[in-house]
Amino acid sequence: MSYRILIVDDSPAMRSFVRRVIHLSGVDVEEFREASNGARALDILREHPVDLVLTDVNMPEVDGEQFLERLAEDDRLKGIPVIVISTDATQNRISRLIKLGARGYLSKPFLPEVLRAQLEGVLETIRV
Amino acid sequence: MDDVLEKMFFIRGPSDSFAPQQLSEVVAGLSFEGNPPGWLTLELPGDAARLLTASFLGQEETEVSPQEVGEVVCELANIICGATLSRVESETTFRLSEPRLLIAGERPGGCGTAMHAVRIGSGTLVVNFKMEECACPCSSERAS
Repeated sequence: MSYRILIVDDSPAMRSFVRRVIHLSGVDVEEFREASNGARALDILREHPVDLVLTDVNMPEVDGEQFLERLAEDDRLKGIPVIVISTDATQNRISRLIKLGARGYLSKPFLPEVLRAQLEGVLETIRV
Repeated sequence: MDDVLEKMFFIRGPSDSFAPQQLSEVVAGLSFEGNPPGWLTLELPGDAARLLTASFLGQEETEVSPQEVGEVVCELANIICGATLSRVESETTFRLSEPRLLIAGERPGGCGTAMHAVRIGSGTLVVNFKMEECACPCSSERAS
């Protein structure tokens, strides 16, 4: 099965890094899409089918938390799994994002294998 | 910082206890709000910056563009700052500014600045970090 993945981060470098790690992980990706903030990501999700979203938290316009909130409010989008990638590793932040619906959380810096494990865990739920 | 470089940049270099005399062609910085607020800067020679960028993006050093170097160095500053602040005990959530490249004269300074240096290729990556709670009487200076 191949997947359609959306990467949301205001850093082009980070988007490239995540894309490369996913590619090297062996996950079969049908299509990558990218957005530089939550607002743009929501526009993309309303126009194109996506199987998984990886998002940063600290972004302009609509940040990661606001993005999760708006996803949850949209009946068409709320089932899309989201993995959050952030520099904030505090328990408060992690708990808040999980409550907002994040299926996974990665704090930077992370080993590529850790991202791969999170991906596979979430994608397994899609396959099932 | 060593953790960041090893995990996401796949680079391991010896630490230095002092900043070397070198031409730091690439300088990035960001500030953060919280309790306490502060800032972080990092600087390194162009060759070291290209090495880091190539490693992060999975490219050859000769393939990386100046724009990519700037973006990667800024992201490095972001990651180091966030990882450092995650270890600080505070009741407030820290909010990081968008990292940006700095020009000569923009580097903040002052007492209470912590410095860490790591050898990257033929150059040294120097990180300066400060939390604004220094009560000493010295005045902050801008580097020339």
